[in-house]
Parts: sequence; C-alpha cells; structure tokens
Amino acid sequence: MLLPKFEYDEPRSIEEACETLRTFGETVKPLAGGTDLMVNMKKGVVRPSRVLSLKKLKTCNRIEKLDATIRIGACTLVAELIQNQVIADTLPALQAGAKALGSPLIRNLATIGGNICSARPAADLPPALLVYGARVVLHSQQGPRTVLLKDFFKGPGQTVLRGDELLTAIELDRPPANSGAGYLNLGIRKVQDIDIINGAAYLALNPRDGTIEKVRVALGAVAPTPIRASLAEQALQGQKPSQDLFVQAGQAAQQDCTPITDFRGGAAYRKAMTSVLVRRVLETALKQIEK
Amino acid sequence: MSEYDVINSRLSRLDTPDKATGRALFIDDISFSNMLYGAILQSPLPHAGIINIDTSAAEKLPGVKAVITAKDVGTVKYGVSPARYDETLFCQDKVRYVGDEIAAVAAVDQATAQEAVSLIKVDYEELPAVLSVEEALAEGAPQLHAEYPGNYTAQVHQEFGDVKAGFEICDLIKSSTFVNKRQDAAFIEPPGCVAVFDLHGALTLYSSTQVPHYVQRTVAMVTGLPVGKVRVLKPYVGGGFGIKASANANELAACFLSMKTGRPVKMNLSREQVFKLCRARHQFLHKMTTGVKKDGTLVSLEHECYLDGGAYSSFGIATVYYAGSLLGGPYKLQNMKYDGYRVYNNKPPCGAQRGHGGVAARAAWEQQLDMIAEELGMDPFDLRLKNMMQAGDVTCNDLNMSSLGMEECLQTVQDGSEWKKKKGRLPKGKGIGMACGFFVSGAGYPIYRSDTYHCTAIVKLAEDGGLAQVYTASAEIGQGSDTAFGMIAAEALGVPLSDVRVMSGDTDMGVDLGAYSSRQTLMTGHAVKEAAEDVKHQVLEVLSKELSVPVQDMSIKKGRVVFHRQEPDFSELRTRYIKEHRGWTDNPKDEPLTFREASRIAYLARGSIVGTGKYKPHELGGKYKGAAVGTSPAYGCSAQVVEVEVDLETGQIRIEKMTDAHDCGLAINKTSVEGQMEGSLSMGLGEAMFEEVKFDARGRVINADLAEYKIPTAVDMPPIETIVVESNEPNGPFGAKEVGEGAIMPTIPAILNAVYDAVGVRIFELPLTPERIYTAVQDYHERQKAS
Ligand SMILES: Cc1cc2nc3c(=O)[nH]c(=O)nc-3n(C[C@H](O)[C@H](O)[C@H](O)COP(=O)(O)OP(=O)(O)OC[C@H]3O[C@@H](n4cnc5c(N)ncnc54)[C@H](O)[C@@H]3O)c2cc1C
Repeated sequence: MLLPKFEYDEPRSIEEACETLRTFGETVKPLAGGTDLMVNMKKGVVRPSRVLSLKKLKTCNRIEKLDATIRIGACTLVAELIQNQVIADTLPALQAGAKALGSPLIRNLATIGGNICSARPAADLPPALLVYGARVVLHSQQGPRTVLLKDFFKGPGQTVLRGDELLTAIELDRPPANSGAGYLNLGIRKVQDIDIINGAAYLALNPRDGTIEKVRVALGAVAPTPIRASLAEQALQGQKPSQDLFVQAGQAAQQDCTPITDFRGGAAYRKAMTSVLVRRVLETALKQIEK
Repeated sequence: MSEYDVINSRLSRLDTPDKATGRALFIDDISFSNMLYGAILQSPLPHAGIINIDTSAAEKLPGVKAVITAKDVGTVKYGVSPARYDETLFCQDKVRYVGDEIAAVAAVDQATAQEAVSLIKVDYEELPAVLSVEEALAEGAPQLHAEYPGNYTAQVHQEFGDVKAGFEICDLIKSSTFVNKRQDAAFIEPPGCVAVFDLHGALTLYSSTQVPHYVQRTVAMVTGLPVGKVRVLKPYVGGGFGIKASANANELAACFLSMKTGRPVKMNLSREQVFKLCRARHQFLHKMTTGVKKDGTLVSLEHECYLDGGAYSSFGIATVYYAGSLLGGPYKLQNMKYDGYRVYNNKPPCGAQRGHGGVAARAAWEQQLDMIAEELGMDPFDLRLKNMMQAGDVTCNDLNMSSLGMEECLQTVQDGSEWKKKKGRLPKGKGIGMACGFFVSGAGYPIYRSDTYHCTAIVKLAEDGGLAQVYTASAEIGQGSDTAFGMIAAEALGVPLSDVRVMSGDTDMGVDLGAYSSRQTLMTGHAVKEAAEDVKHQVLEVLSKELSVPVQDMSIKKGRVVFHRQEPDFSELRTRYIKEHRGWTDNPKDEPLTFREASRIAYLARGSIVGTGKYKPHELGGKYKGAAVGTSPAYGCSAQVVEVEVDLETGQIRIEKMTDAHDCGLAINKTSVEGQMEGSLSMGLGEAMFEEVKFDARGRVINADLAEYKIPTAVDMPPIETIVVESNEPNGPFGAKEVGEGAIMPTIPAILNAVYDAVGVRIFELPLTPERIYTAVQDYHERQKAS
C-alpha cells in the first residue's frame, strides 16, 4: 500500500489555513499527526487531492491554564497530555485516556484534535473530555465558533465540523475542589487495543451534605458516537454516593447504550460490561475526590 | 563448570553488533542498479472461473516492462510435498481464494507496478464458495480440486494397539471437543525477494526464506532452469515460524519477471498480503476420548481431527499426520487411534507454524488429562509422573525417546512455581495450571522423497592460518543458528569463537534443508562438527609428520596445540612461521605452539585445508503409512506452570507468571535456548488469549493488520522463569537437541488449566477473549440455577 499523490500545504497561521480550506473545499484534508489520516489514505478510504499540514500552527499546540478554564490547543500531542502537569493535576481522567491511547510511537504523533475529529466511536479521549464538559473551538474565515463536544459528534467519522472549518482548541472549565473524575477502558489485550468499551465519569459533591451536585457519565464503543449516559446521570443526581447507588447507575447505563455486534465484540457483552465499567469508573471518580 | 571451552555457555551472538547498530542487511536493504519492482494481481473473489484476462492496458502504461500470466509461465504444479503438488504459480481457469495469484507486473517503480496491476482486467464467473470445514464436506458442496474429490487434501487413519479393547479395561473414559483458531505468525518482516537473472542464463534469488534449498528446487522445477543455474541466498531474516518454509508465488513471479526482462526484480509482500499468503497454523477441531484406570494409568486414546485447510495443500498433508502422531508421547500409551481429515475450502491455505500440527492437539489432550486428574482426585503432576516415559522408551507409534528429561522438567517447574503451596489454595479468581509436551528435533525425512543428506558443511582454514571459515546452506532466521554453528565448529576444532567466521544461507555452500521442524542444531550441528573435526585431523596429520608425534597424542584446545605426552621441539616450525611474517608485531614468542602456526604449516604442506561434514538421520522406526511424519532422531520435551488471575466481572485474564522447563539436550548457547523458550511462550500466549484471523462472508480477511490481529505486546507478557534442563542426547552433536518448537507445546493447555482453576468452568475454544470467558461463566451459572 502506497500513499497516492497529493498537494501539500504548510500554512503558518490559522487564517492562512482557513483560506486554503475555503478555496479547496472538500478536496482538502487537514493533517495533524496523520496516524488516522495516513492509514486511511493508504487504504484508499479517503482520497484528498490536497493535504493541509497543521504542523506549523504554533498557537495550536499549547496547553494554557486560564482563570476559570483550561485551553488545550488542537495540535497538542497525546504524549504531551500524559506529561503535562496541568493536565495531571486538574484533568486526571483525560490523562488516563491519553495513557490508554495506542503505543508510545503513536502517542508521539497523534493529537487531541485528530482524535476528536476522526470521530471514532471507540476513541480514547472523548469520554473524559465529555465528562469534563469540554467545548470545541471551530475556526473558519468568518472567525471562531464554540460548540459543546457533546453536540459535536454525529456518527462514526461524522461531525458538525464544516469543510471550511478547523478545530483549533478544546476548552474545559477547571473542575472545582470537591470533584473527581476517572476513565477506564476494556479491550482484548492490555495495551494497543481498540476498546470493546470505554467510559468516564465526573462527580462533584455538595460540600455540606456530600450529595452528588453535578455528575457526568460518558461511554464509548456502545453507540455510533461517544455518548453521555443520561439515565445513569439521572440515577446519580442529588444522591449520596454509595456502592449500591453506583450499581444502580451501572444498570441504568445499559439503557443509555445501543451497541452493535461486530468482529471485535458482541452487543450483549458490551451491554453487560457497561454496568461494570460505569460502576468502576464512578468508584475511581469518588476516590479522586477523597484523595 | 562445563567441560567445554566454547559451547554450553552464554557467548553473545555473532549478529548482535550488526543488528544492534542497524547494519544487518535484510531483504529490503538489497537493491541493484536498473532494478525493477514487481507486484502481483490477486483474486478479489473466493471462488470463480476465469473467463478472460486482458493485460493490454497494463502493458501500455509507461514504465511497465513486463506483464505475465499463466499463458507466459506455464502451469507447472508445485507445492510443498510432491504427494500434493496442487498449486500453479498463476491461476489459469479458476481462482480458489481471495488472494489467489493471477498475474504479475514488473515496472520501474512500485507505484507504477501497482497501478499496472489495477489495470489488468479479469472477467470472472463467480462460483459458489465454501468457507468452512462443514460447508466443504456438505453433500453436493462445490469442489475445489478435481483431483482431490470430496474436498479432502488428505485423510489419515491409524491405529496402534487395540483402542477398543483398551477402553474395556478402563475405569474412567473422558471425551471432549476442542477448537483453536486460524493463526498468523506475525513475523516482523513480511516476505520479500529480489531475483537477478544474469547474462549467463543463471538466476540468483535473494529471499527472506527459511529454506533456501527447497526454494532452489521449486524455482528450478517451475522455471525449467537446471538446479545448478539457480542460486538462492538468504540475507538476515526477520522471523519465519514456518510460513517462510516453502517457496511462494512471490518468489516464483520475481524469477519469471527477471528472466523476461533481463533486469533484477524486487518483490515485497505487504502486511495485508501476508494474511492472504497465510500458510500459518490451521484451525483444528479435535474430538478426543481418553480411557484410564483408577490409579491414573493411561490406556487408550481415540482421536478425530478436522483441519480447516484453505485452498491448497501447502504443508497440510504433513500437518494432518503431525496432529495425530505427536500425541504418542511423552506418556506411556499403548493404544492410540487417529482419524485425521485435512479439508480444502475457499480461504487462504494454511501450512506449518511453530509446533507444526501438534499445538492444538496438545492443548486439547492436556486439558482432557487435567479433567481426568480432577475426576480421579489426583494432582495433575502425579498423573503425568505416573505415565511419563523415560529415556529409551518407544511410543506406540514408534517414536524413540533416545533422551528424555521429562521427569526433571516436571520436578523443576513444580518446585520453581511453588505448585504444592498454591494448587487448590488460591482465592477465587486466581488459578494455577500445568501441562507437558514434546516435539521432534528435525523431521526424519526431507519433504521430497530422497536419499539426500539433510545437510552438508564445509570448514576451510584461512591459508594464512588462524581462522576457520564455516560454510553451510543453513538458515539463520533470527534464532541464532549461525552462532550455534560457530560455537560447535570452534569447540570441535579447539579454537575460540573469535577465530571462526560463519557463512550460511546460500545454496552454493551445500545442501541444507533449512530452518524448520527444529532440525538445524541437531542436524547441521552434526555436519559442522564433522567438518571441523576433519580439518583438525588434517592439521594434526601434518604436525605429526613434521614433529614425529602420533596424531592421537596431540589435540587443539583454546587455539593452542596440546601435546598429551612430552612436548616436542617445535622451534623449527615457529621459525618458519615467523620468517613468513617478518614485520608482524604479534608473532608468537614463548607460548606453546599455536593453532595459527599449525594451520599455516598445514597449508604449506598440503594447500588449502578444507574439511567436510554431512548428516542424515540413521534408520528411524515406523514401517506404517505416515511413519515419516513424527519420527525424528531425537525429541525435546517440556513442562510448564502458568498462574492467572481472572476478573470474574469482565472475563479478562491476566497471566501473572509462567514457569517453563525444557530439555534441549546439551545447551549449545544457554541464552539462545532461553530466547527460544520465551519466544515460544509469547507465541503460545498469543494463540491462547488473543489471536484469530477473521473472515467476512465473502472470504476476505477482515483483520489483516497488526492492530486488529492482536499478538501479545511486551506489557501482556508476564514474568517468565525459564529452566534449562540438560539431558545428553546420544543422537545430537555434543548431546544437543531442539528447543525451538517443543517449548510452545505446554503453553496453551497450561493457560487453559489455570483458567479453569480460577473460574471453575472449562473452555474448549480459543482464543480466551474476555467475552468468551464472561459468556462461559454466565452460561455455567445459568445452567447451575436451572438444575
Ligand atoms: C497503530 C494505531 C493505534 C491506535 N490506537 C488508538 C487508540 O488506542 N485509541 C484511540 O483513540 N485511537 C487510536 N488510534 C487512532 C489515532 O491514532 C488517534 O485517533 C489519533 O488521536 C489521531 O490523531 P492524529 O493527530 O494522528 O490525526 P490525523 O490522522 O492527522 O487526523 C485524523 C482526522 O482528523 C482530521 N483533523 C485532524 N486535526 C484536525 C483539526 N485540528 N481540525 C479539523 N480536522 C482535523 C483529519 O483531517 C483526519 O480526517 C490508533 C492509530 C494507530 C495507527
């Protein structure tokens, strides 16, 4: 399998990049780490006649800690998400997702933006981003617009990103002190796997009575897109965390998902694992708070 | 302390510096000026008639130098065993699997070659396809080969002793059925080659192969060139595991393209094509019934096996024999009946892979023995020890265990794993299991019927003295055979390894059947030892004359001539040597007579000192049909203990520890032996836990890459304790025998038995994915509830 021929651009600014996107429309594809795009181009699944490298977009690979938010440039490497202290301290579930992604070789190329834009149902980063309530910044020649990540995915490989838009950053509110989050994934082997199921949970407790004030649960590989498990969330909202409650939430999550059977795993198994995974990841989140 | 100076140690490998620094040449590093690139057109359909092939558009594409089809190259049948030559290089009237070769192109670069392939128009008439054993054997099933009716590649029907009579005296009879999955060997380096047809009408093929000799013969047979005009060379090879143990269509096509264009042609397979080529482990369905007495004595084994073969035979006829014959040991078993069926279907052909034919059979049986031990209330170790063979025992199917450290293997893994402390005492979800196995140390016969030597070796001394050059046509494919033969030559000659240079992998260097059936250490080792002893004798003969000392009163050790009686005055020889090396700063002074001086003196007396060696097995047992598959000059054996932890909620298995003992006879290089043991364990672990080549309903592989076809990563490997057990094999060079394949035998059943110990449910199907474990445990609980 060889790469087909294509034109190659290396814009130095977001504006320049957006202009190219506008000019060439559907025939151009942004290239971040290329760990998804290059594979698909070799297989002939996508055939852009022009590739727009994001390598030189200096402003897109920073992690910034702002007053109330954290802003992660779309071109931030997955490896950087593991090493970065801000991520480790404030967004541990995202760090866990990054650690679960591919191998060191892949993580040194793959970007957070590529992971989001490829919109794979089993991708390792979206669940954690979803439970942190992430927003994505989409840039076109008209300027930026901000979309909730939960509204971003439309189907396998499908997003609300328009052909003339670039994902430039991911924004997250800094989690409050009494909150915690976790990420877990289940595959065939220990690492380098395409998950059979994955998921994340975020809990913020009311400091006075210890009840769950804010909760988000997200799951991957159990629906056409990464999803929020709203029935599980409802079961948890306002309740006092307990083993029983987490079991109930796990059971409720089964109704949130619509898994399929494919060669990687059966729908029934995925559904059954939803309960286990949700319960366990809630326990992880709670432990985070207690730490 | 070892009695040896070189072997039985841990010398570092000869290829280490080259490989560590990236200087080692692999097939893709080889290029020639004016070289063309080849590509192959493979069938997109599992079964179809070929109505027409139109190559005109491909031929017109600028940069294309040749397009060849069956019309150009003929339809000489080839394969692995002459008993089943059922392939032609290109399909003429029908294709039999997705990947079957139809045409090939040579062009100035790879992109052009691939584009040309896509321009070849083939009109097919689709035929109904059969994609499983059941479909292939169903009444009225489409037939793959007119010559082999019923879609049977081969059937085996054997009985040793009287199985039925045996069952009558048994106290317990146990039956079970077991199935593994089609494997891919997942070597790092996909096969590739460069064919160079020269101006003298001779063909040189550089290829990533395990068997230069068999490739040479097949290329000669299919191209019609005299064998003497075909030379096959093997650079460093990135693993083979059996899949590179026969000539493939890629090699043959490159040869024809080079012959047609007169230019070198390089052809590499992609990873996806490796899955289409396949030739790896079959899917085996085993049905076994074992009868034992109350005290655990094994009496009878009745065994039926179906091999999901794919479209052509490849090694299949040998595989189906091995699947039966390798259960003859390592236990005393008087009665054994085997019915084996190797079945064609429209998938890529399966062949030989590490532990050829025996791995799934071993897994099925060792699991059944575990069930029997449990029912008899015996410890699994005790059941094995009760039935174990001893050195000198012969199996009911005539395999002679000329050495067998089975008892020591069992004892050392039992102690090493602290079995007695753990068995039956682990908490729920944790388990411990064990199993045994054995394997041939070289197939007793070549793949083609012949009286040929299995290997020849040449040792030549450098004319200036001090260096021995070892030439064999054996195949170093990463296992360390060059180092082993360097060490054997050095030991036999009496010099340090640094005074030996090893060259191999070239059919011009002699005959060697190659790296398969774990044969090289024993067989090539013998030939190398004989050649080294031959040159040593020649040197000593010259010295004997010069110094008037009988040959038997001298030897060479650590690069020095040793005189067993009084040391003669050799100053005249030394003076002669030094005179010839005036200006040299390292001439010998006061030390004893050196090998360097002796070999120079020998050259001056006789010309080049060349020694030769050869080997073929002595007459082996077995007069029955199929006895050629399984008989070997020696057998390696092993025992393993595996500890697991199972997550009962998800079905995920974590292998916590593996303890492995293997009897390799005398270990030539202990580190290499351990490397083979660890490699076997990781391959067995992968097959047990993760690996399965999967197909869609159209016969296409859907996980033809190493992301979706999952082999163990470093993280999946547990700590491994390897225990090298050394028996002294009378038929081996310095007492050495195999380790390359025997070590994989117990891995899968030891894992199966450990998982059972952890979850209380037997699993009879591989791989042990979390989903399979979870479902089996759920089903078991449902059944418990219902009853
Ligand atoms: C061997 C291997 C293992 C893998 N393992 C995992 C795994 O365990 N978990 C996992 O989640 N993924 C895995 N992946 C998939 C992939 O590596 C990740 O999804 C990665 O994050 C993709 O990032 P990238 O920067 O390489 O994306 P690219 O390949 O560069 O891009 C992916 C897609 O997104 C588009 N795109 C990229 N950036 C932008 C942007 N800023 N704006 C708009 N569009 C953009 C591209 O046009 C392309 O369509 C694996 C891939 C391989 C090859």
